[in-house]
Amino acid sequence: MNEPVPAATIGLAGARASLLTEAQLAHYEASYRKDYQAWAEVLGENIERIRRGSFSLHWLKTDGGNWGKRAKPSSRGLTYTDINRVRGYGDIPEHADWFNFAPRGSIREPYRARMPVVDDYTVTARDELWADNVITLYEEAKARQWNATKDIAWDELEPLPEDLEKATCQLCTFLTEVEFVAGDFPAKWLYRTPQDFLEVKSFLATQLMDEARHQEVFRKRAIAGGGLLHASPGFEWALKAILDAPSHTMGTFLLNLLGEGLVLSVFRSGEMIAKTQVDKEIFRRCLQDEARHVSYGVLELKNYLATHPERERAVEELHRFADIGEQVILSAFTEAALVEPVAVLLGGSLKQIDKGMEGLGHMWRMFIGEYLQRCTAAGFDRAPRCTIPLDLPWGVAA
Amino acid sequence: MSATADTLARDVVAFPSRAWFERLAALMNANRTRQEQLGYVDCIAQFTVLDGAADGGALAYRISFEEFEALGVEEPTTRDLGPADFALEGSLATWREMIENIAAGKGRPDLEHSLNRLSHMGTPLQLVYTDPVRMDCYFRFNQSLQEFVNASALFTTAYGR
Repeated sequence: MNEPVPAATIGLAGARASLLTEAQLAHYEASYRKDYQAWAEVLGENIERIRRGSFSLHWLKTDGGNWGKRAKPSSRGLTYTDINRVRGYGDIPEHADWFNFAPRGSIREPYRARMPVVDDYTVTARDELWADNVITLYEEAKARQWNATKDIAWDELEPLPEDLEKATCQLCTFLTEVEFVAGDFPAKWLYRTPQDFLEVKSFLATQLMDEARHQEVFRKRAIAGGGLLHASPGFEWALKAILDAPSHTMGTFLLNLLGEGLVLSVFRSGEMIAKTQVDKEIFRRCLQDEARHVSYGVLELKNYLATHPERERAVEELHRFADIGEQVILSAFTEAALVEPVAVLLGGSLKQIDKGMEGLGHMWRMFIGEYLQRCTAAGFDRAPRCTIPLDLPWGVAA
Repeated sequence: MSATADTLARDVVAFPSRAWFERLAALMNANRTRQEQLGYVDCIAQFTVLDGAADGGALAYRISFEEFEALGVEEPTTRDLGPADFALEGSLATWREMIENIAAGKGRPDLEHSLNRLSHMGTPLQLVYTDPVRMDCYFRFNQSLQEFVNASALFTTAYGR
């Protein structure tokens, strides 16, 4: 049974839920009074109609709408693709100009002037978000969800020798630290995206759920195996760079294509070097989720570049962004708190860490090679300008 | 296991052969409940035994997965990818070791014999692809593909054509 946890036991003793200052409260009141006439008029009309005991029944009229064309399910049920085939619902605008919650395809035009504008909806271009596989990936994500509480056989987790347990727990600490940026980043852009791009918003919501689960499963694995170990500044700078990306496409390139591409490689390596079946299952489950995010990242970039009216400028802008982004991401992927535990797990023990570094060198070439292949697949020829060394610079100064 | 799967499990099937992969496909389709737990699988995977033919040449088997089913198995005449999203290529000895390991684990390979473990470093299995986006299907559906080959523990495999 879930019992409430006393605040004192989780370090909240003495903390207070925040109260607004008088000035903050007055500001909020003023902001709604500013629009008072618009919404109070709606409220007044509604109250008046109800008092009269009168029905409007305007919602029965179908002029200007798409009434009567019924969506038909396909073999999988009723997907976005199925309903988008119905005329009037599947036209995704190049530029959104509805900045409220009125659903695409509804009868909304007659009410436009009386509706509020949500100022936060700033990503108005479809091609800053769209990827041709986004609906497929959304359906796939829903179908392949899993539960970190019950789908992992936690009771089968076996204790490992101390060096391997610490290496596993350190790797899990890294993954716990990085996974939620992959939730915070889509969250940041999700709420800036107008409702007309509902397919992309839906997919981003699944990415949020996936990343919550990854953070959860690695936190659980570490704490079940001994504990969380070291956070790292290099990870933090990489994560901040992702969150601070100036546009959705740039951030998606840095997070989904480069960052998650590398984390996908870490998951695959994690599955390979796992010392227990429980760890193997965790990494295998996570790599499936991560591969969806990578796939969105590649095709989002591809669509962005393919549709950009000033493609050359867009490519150059992206190169300049990547020049910095790659180096910042590199600061995470060269951290001792990541490289060394992976080498220990690869080598089989702390004593075999040098052997592990040899294996890591091989994997590094593969990781960077796959990153560059994905860039090429997106129409972004990054190989000539890539700032990440193609070979792990291990011991070159020795 | 369902009654259909139980029936499918009784006899001996040769590896490598189209019949062997068709048996896996039939077992997958007989166990739809498990597939629904794992989620959609939409890809075409090719399994290549580099020295599987009587003359020492390659034999390839292409399995089409859609939704929760293996729709069919083809045996192309070459190891070219064709419509496959990716191929897993390895020697007969590698495949045999993996299949025997899965059988010894009663349907679960040990730590050294999962598909990803065997393919991650490019040896002894190699992941072959031309399009990195389509290659990612190997990862997106990895658990389903692992369970697809794990079903080989449900029947007896004889080696050689």
